[in-house]
Amino acid sequence: MVKIPLRKETHSGGCQCGAVRYTIEGALGKAGICHCRMCQKAFGNFGAALVSVPAGNLAWSRGVPSLFRSSAIVSRGFCAACGTPLFMREDGDVNYELAIGTLDDPDSIPPMTEQSGTESRLSWFHTMHDLPEQKTADYRSAEDMEKLKSLQHPDHDTEHWP
Amino acid sequence: MTGDTHATGGCQCGAVRYAITTPFENPHICHCRMCQKAFGNYFAALVGTSKSGLSWTKGEPAFFQSSGIVQRGFCRDCGTPLSFAYDYSSRIAVSIGSLDHPERVMPAIQYGTESRLPAFAHLHTLPGTRTEDDIPADMMEKLRSRQHPDRD
Repeated sequence: MVKIPLRKETHSGGCQCGAVRYTIEGALGKAGICHCRMCQKAFGNFGAALVSVPAGNLAWSRGVPSLFRSSAIVSRGFCAACGTPLFMREDGDVNYELAIGTLDDPDSIPPMTEQSGTESRLSWFHTMHDLPEQKTADYRSAEDMEKLKSLQHPDHDTEHWP
Repeated sequence: MTGDTHATGGCQCGAVRYAITTPFENPHICHCRMCQKAFGNYFAALVGTSKSGLSWTKGEPAFFQSSGIVQRGFCRDCGTPLSFAYDYSSRIAVSIGSLDHPERVMPAIQYGTESRLPAFAHLHTLPGTRTEDDIPADMMEKLRSRQHPDRD
């Protein structure tokens, strides 16, 4: 019997401008969202959506993140050229907590399992899925869409960019 | 038209701070793929105001031009995504999480739903814990925030 080797699981991602890119070999770990006030401010958002990645499985394939020490034992990585928050990591932790929106395919992560930092959870979080909705093309003319054409790095690796 | 400051905010490290004197408008979340990547998240949460009513009171953001007509402001020292504006518009939006009081702004609409991630619909149903439930008491001191306080 010929055994066909399983394709190894890989993921890629990076910041919006493409100055920082990463590659992950192997499976992603536990995923969850954090509402704590530090994640809110660091991400400028409701909080953070993070997935654990063993540090040894992640390689920075282009550029490197800048770091902000948000507490004595936590570093937060971001792109200094476009600001995208990329990860948080406690000193000595074997994992990065990677910002899921930076993955080229953020839908490829394992199912989310938990919310943390709920002491700071914003009141609208539990009803936001019921808000009225519009697709971008619903409120943008074709002419606008051309002007809005993304200068963002594409959702795959590139030889040269931009 | 400007009036009294009714909202302040800034980045995590405090290098960039802002004040807003004109009314908030169109609080929203945006799922578009550009907001996802710029914010490293499921979506962006933004609230608009007049460009004339937003002043950078400490430092100023760096900007990334994410399309031909859009500038996204962020802190070059800590990365916090701060603002979004069309070049031609008299309006600017700030990221709700960068406000000192994000709880005062309620998004009213979702944009960019062509890119909305399937998990979004269930996020609010996930089991939840408070920070002090997860962190041993002796660790809380080490984790004490170096973030700028939620006031000027």
